Amino acid sequence: MSILKNGREVAILGVGMHRFGLWPDSTNADMSRVAGLAALKDAGLSFKDVDAAYVGQIFAPVMAGVRVMKEFGLTGLPVQRLDNASATGSACLYEAVGSVASGRYDVAMVLGFDKMTGIVADSSANTDPANLEDAILPAAFFAMWATRRMHERGTKPEHLAKIAAKNWHNGGLNPMAQRQPDKPVPIEKVLSSRMVAWPMTTMMSCPIGDGAACAIVGPVELAKKLNPGRPIVKVVASALQSERYDRGHLFMGPVVGPGRMTVDTSAVCYEQAGLGPKDIDLVQVHDAFAIEELEYYELLGICGKGEAEACIDRGDFELGGRVPFSTDGGLIARGHPGGPTGLAQIWETTLQLRGEAGKRQVANARNGICHMMGGGSVCVMHILQKG
Amino acid sequence: MSGTARARRPLKQGYFTVPENPAEPPKLMGTVCKDCGEYFFPKRVVCAKCLSENTADAMLGPQGTLYSYTFVHFPLFGSTKVEHSTGYGVGQVDLPEGPRVQVPLAGKQEDFKVGMPLVAELDPIREDGDKDVVILRFAPVAGGAK
Ligand SMILES: [Zn+2]
Repeated sequence: MSILKNGREVAILGVGMHRFGLWPDSTNADMSRVAGLAALKDAGLSFKDVDAAYVGQIFAPVMAGVRVMKEFGLTGLPVQRLDNASATGSACLYEAVGSVASGRYDVAMVLGFDKMTGIVADSSANTDPANLEDAILPAAFFAMWATRRMHERGTKPEHLAKIAAKNWHNGGLNPMAQRQPDKPVPIEKVLSSRMVAWPMTTMMSCPIGDGAACAIVGPVELAKKLNPGRPIVKVVASALQSERYDRGHLFMGPVVGPGRMTVDTSAVCYEQAGLGPKDIDLVQVHDAFAIEELEYYELLGICGKGEAEACIDRGDFELGGRVPFSTDGGLIARGHPGGPTGLAQIWETTLQLRGEAGKRQVANARNGICHMMGGGSVCVMHILQKG
Repeated sequence: MSGTARARRPLKQGYFTVPENPAEPPKLMGTVCKDCGEYFFPKRVVCAKCLSENTADAMLGPQGTLYSYTFVHFPLFGSTKVEHSTGYGVGQVDLPEGPRVQVPLAGKQEDFKVGMPLVAELDPIREDGDKDVVILRFAPVAGGAK
């Protein structure tokens, strides 16, 4: 089934990454070349076969998108640069999937890259002393989600620490993760790491970093021809939404809009895919802070309202649990350079659905959600399905 | 106005009033939609609810109710005040007219409780010549829930 009425079915033909981390000696072009060539090789395609490119980056200067694409050759293909904050890579995929489904292009390359080292030296970088909003850090915004949740549901800092420890553990199993601990991270260590904005500690928060990720998309028919015998990874849902007004809407200071954005966007995706939360086998979310992942368990309908804490205590979202979340370490451990983050989720889910995720492999994975929030704000969500 | 009170100016114009009388709480400068009656902060031209352009300035607050809060363990950006160097409270505050605002809070973490009544005040964060540069924050109502 296509995401468009009368449209073509779309598949992820190939994926590639440059490991996220602090890479002061690598340029955006270097990292993008590594990720892009890996994705082309994975797809079994040459850059000559690429009809269009959607490039996402947040921190690099104007023109960086089209310039970086020259690393692959100068074939005259259309190149568009897109920015939607943290959801930039996901937003690029959304455009590429729509263009292939509509028949405008056959093969679209989706590339995300960013370098935060040297740009964001501290949390107050890029701030204007006259801006009231600069007084509030992103961590503080999400910490207030946590305080409210603790008030309404009796959530404990330990629940947030368990989510973070899980994601650190998963990062240790992912060669592309920024944080790869070589031994288990105890929840006590997460709780006693530096307090950023109560009750959120540094180890419950994503790091800054550099990296690149790439996905090649095309029609399902092409996927069958290119790699016969390999499971096909279909894009069965693709949606992007901005904020809707409800009373109590925060206009100044918030990083992202209300939880309703995830509910509404996932409803569109479930409808497109003809699936429900019960059909989902694994999920990647915008876990920039551990409290976000906790809220998304419920907002995506993977557990009932008010049940997240009990599910965390049961281990439902760990590898081997009922529905593993952030299997590659999530933003907290895999990292969150910005532009490429949403495409790292596509890399992970594609490997999982093909059964190529190694020690992180989710058994019998068939349907995977990739969910991102982009500051401002937007919610972008895709569902990938093993064909 | 007492003879010793210093003149004050807002960090940024157009968001809150700076009353002549230091004992008088500031108000938030927002918008009301004359078609659907919805209030907004900060000011806007088009109503976000019904999309009408029939809107007007409206003064909001100074009372509020604490919806959620945190205490940030970093210095308050742009402040030279010693008490801000180790951190500061931040809250989401529901105004009686409807809008929710995200603002710094006066006090320590243990002073805050979800649902408590608050009132707006002006907090000097640094000096600019003979004037104090002030930001808007909310403080627990004296004798309120602690
Ligand atoms: Zn209106």
